[in-house]
Amino acid sequence: MIPGFGNLMQDVLWCFSQVKGTIDIGVTEADIISTVEFNHTGELLATGDKGGRVVIFQREQESKQQPQRRGEYNVYSTFQSHEPEFDYLKSLEIEEKINKIRWLPQHNAACFLLSTNDKTVKLWKVSERDKRPEGYNLKDEDGRLRDPSMITTLRVPVLRPMDLMVEATPRRVFANAHTYHINSISVNSDYETYMSADDLRINLWNFEITNQSFNIVDIKPANMEELTEVITAAEFHPHHCNTFVYSSSKGTIRLCDMRASALCDRHAKFFEEPEDPSNRSFFSEIISSISDVKFSHSGRYVMTRDYLTVKVWDLNMENRPMETYQVHDYLRSKLCSLYENDCIFDKFECVWNGSDSVIMTGSYNNFFRMFDRNTKRDVTLEASRENSKPRAILKPRKVCVGGKRRKDEISVDSLDFSKKILHTAWHPSENIIAVAATNNLYIFQDKVN
Amino acid sequence: MLKWCSEPCARYMLGKGGKRKFDEHEDGLEGKVVSPTDGPSKVSYTLQRQTIFNISLMKLYNHRPLTEPSLQKTVLINNMLRRIQEELKQEGSLRPVFVTASQPADPLGDSFREAQPAFSHLAAQPLLPADLVSAAPLEACLTPASLLEDDAFCTSQTVQHDGPTKLPPPALQPVKDSFSSALDEIEELCPAPTSAEAVAVAAETAADDSKDHPSESSVQRPEGVPESRTAEPKLMDPLPGNFEITTSTGFLTDLTLDDILFADIDTSMYDFDPCTSATGAASKMAPVSADELLKTLAPYSSQPVTPNQPFKMDLTELDHIMEVLVGS
Repeated sequence: MIPGFGNLMQDVLWCFSQVKGTIDIGVTEADIISTVEFNHTGELLATGDKGGRVVIFQREQESKQQPQRRGEYNVYSTFQSHEPEFDYLKSLEIEEKINKIRWLPQHNAACFLLSTNDKTVKLWKVSERDKRPEGYNLKDEDGRLRDPSMITTLRVPVLRPMDLMVEATPRRVFANAHTYHINSISVNSDYETYMSADDLRINLWNFEITNQSFNIVDIKPANMEELTEVITAAEFHPHHCNTFVYSSSKGTIRLCDMRASALCDRHAKFFEEPEDPSNRSFFSEIISSISDVKFSHSGRYVMTRDYLTVKVWDLNMENRPMETYQVHDYLRSKLCSLYENDCIFDKFECVWNGSDSVIMTGSYNNFFRMFDRNTKRDVTLEASRENSKPRAILKPRKVCVGGKRRKDEISVDSLDFSKKILHTAWHPSENIIAVAATNNLYIFQDKVN
Repeated sequence: MLKWCSEPCARYMLGKGGKRKFDEHEDGLEGKVVSPTDGPSKVSYTLQRQTIFNISLMKLYNHRPLTEPSLQKTVLINNMLRRIQEELKQEGSLRPVFVTASQPADPLGDSFREAQPAFSHLAAQPLLPADLVSAAPLEACLTPASLLEDDAFCTSQTVQHDGPTKLPPPALQPVKDSFSSALDEIEELCPAPTSAEAVAVAAETAADDSKDHPSESSVQRPEGVPESRTAEPKLMDPLPGNFEITTSTGFLTDLTLDDILFADIDTSMYDFDPCTSATGAASKMAPVSADELLKTLAPYSSQPVTPNQPFKMDLTELDHIMEVLVGS
């Protein structure tokens, strides 16, 4: 049984739809996908990679001739968003890897998105051009200037259709505001401002102003040697433009109200779950570090992802989460190894479905997990080329913990920790999900009846 | 992946060396949550803690990224190290400090047995911190290498003040472990270095570790030192002031390391390591002719530094070393 969407009685069967990216065994580091995001309508799907590129896919119109191909996503635009830079002061490279992409709501024909690397946020305009003017007076069709003395008649240029061209232009560059690495950006519901968060500070920007930003959170201690906690993620409330949350490496979430003061160092609400003494280990703090925080679409709940679990918090209850879901608890006994090989620092993201009834997050071995909040059922699916026949139904996977391994189960020791699914996205209104597996982007849809 | 972990058990990445002895402890380390208070599992808890401590140090100092390292990762690893050090400190403060009026018959023998904990993770039998104190009262006189580095050869007054300082033995452990971890690294890099060289770089690395890592060195400072600054070994008396530290024989391993620390030994082979390249601490010390020291230590350089061989040294040799170090 697989988590459903909306109607409890109807279970969803997830099917393979498409996969983007090469099948090469050797993966170029630059092709590793580092962020995935649907726009507000779901028509566009953007990915960013370690090489600083953004690829936007557009869903094709559903056609009556081919009802099977329910709106496939095809490449719409590709552009180089960020280039590698060098910090001469510290003698260190600044990676061009795209950490986050966030779409702005669409008001006209053009779309806007924010993309960020460790240091700089950019606002990109993606627009279509399918007509071009012809018949200039002062220049040829080739663009060469004509001699004005040779012109005897005047004509009015006309627009003629041309092949569709999608161009991406950087409209704003928001730079030099972050000493530390940017981990999150979030567009405010007023659509006039947005915030960018790094390890120690959160800045508020106006889209129109690039040379100034307001610092709204600063947790840098006077003496850096006393630093024990960093900001790991931040997001604006979907409806209340004065409210935002940020999470920390100690497993806490703070909700802040910008109306209270200019510098929101004092939280309005503080969410923390008391530590379970029976589960305490050397790694308790590290695995409690929150890697992602997401408001529900309704704005009533906040979901957080730490190393082993996903938690759903009610904004009205600060002392413990409302729901806790185990993603891969079988890793609890492997924490020492995972600490040694750095996997324990992997930052998994989490997403809500459109109706906030199902949540999804990634794991290792190209597995990803979905939890139905209503039925309390969960499923583990795999993004792999083997399951990539058109419209093939994904088979649930199971990790075997104990001694006896059943057929089709995989044992914990056989998991491939280099195949991690950190980034996933869910269409805002339909059962379409995008799962980034290293350099491949998988798109799954629910079964068409 | 730990670069020196070549054994098949490297999959579990339990620690340096990947030596087969570790397999026995895999379960203890990876399996259940071990409470520090259980009896026999205290050993595996201590071992686990030690391993994690070493891994953490490795992560902080053996990493030379082209881009800025993740602050979150650094903070989490730092917190881990601090927590372990706090634990060790607390364990140390709970232990009674032993005071001896008389010199043990074979101070060297005893002390070298106790000095072995520095390499305990290589030994088949891990030593508990408790062993250190109960068996070797002289341990209480130990001064961590960092202190020696800072004070010993700068001013004799400082040294005298700190010399008979008793420190909680576990405070010594982090230093020794950084020594041992660095030593392992060197061993792996260069399978048969002269013991002098290996120990030198190890000492240098560890000393720099303790210098670079503020919380670590803060633990090594003599804070919360028990009041009983008693019985210094008799052999301290005829010797000059700053020799007080060095005569506590449990130190001899460290002393030797420090001797070589200040020597002008060619470490270009290890220069890629960010720890060894920062020779600031060593360079501040009184320069000692490398040849002199090497000559002094020549009889010992043939001995590989292993946990099972006591690193014996004559008192006369010790005198000689001290003359060289202090006199010049």
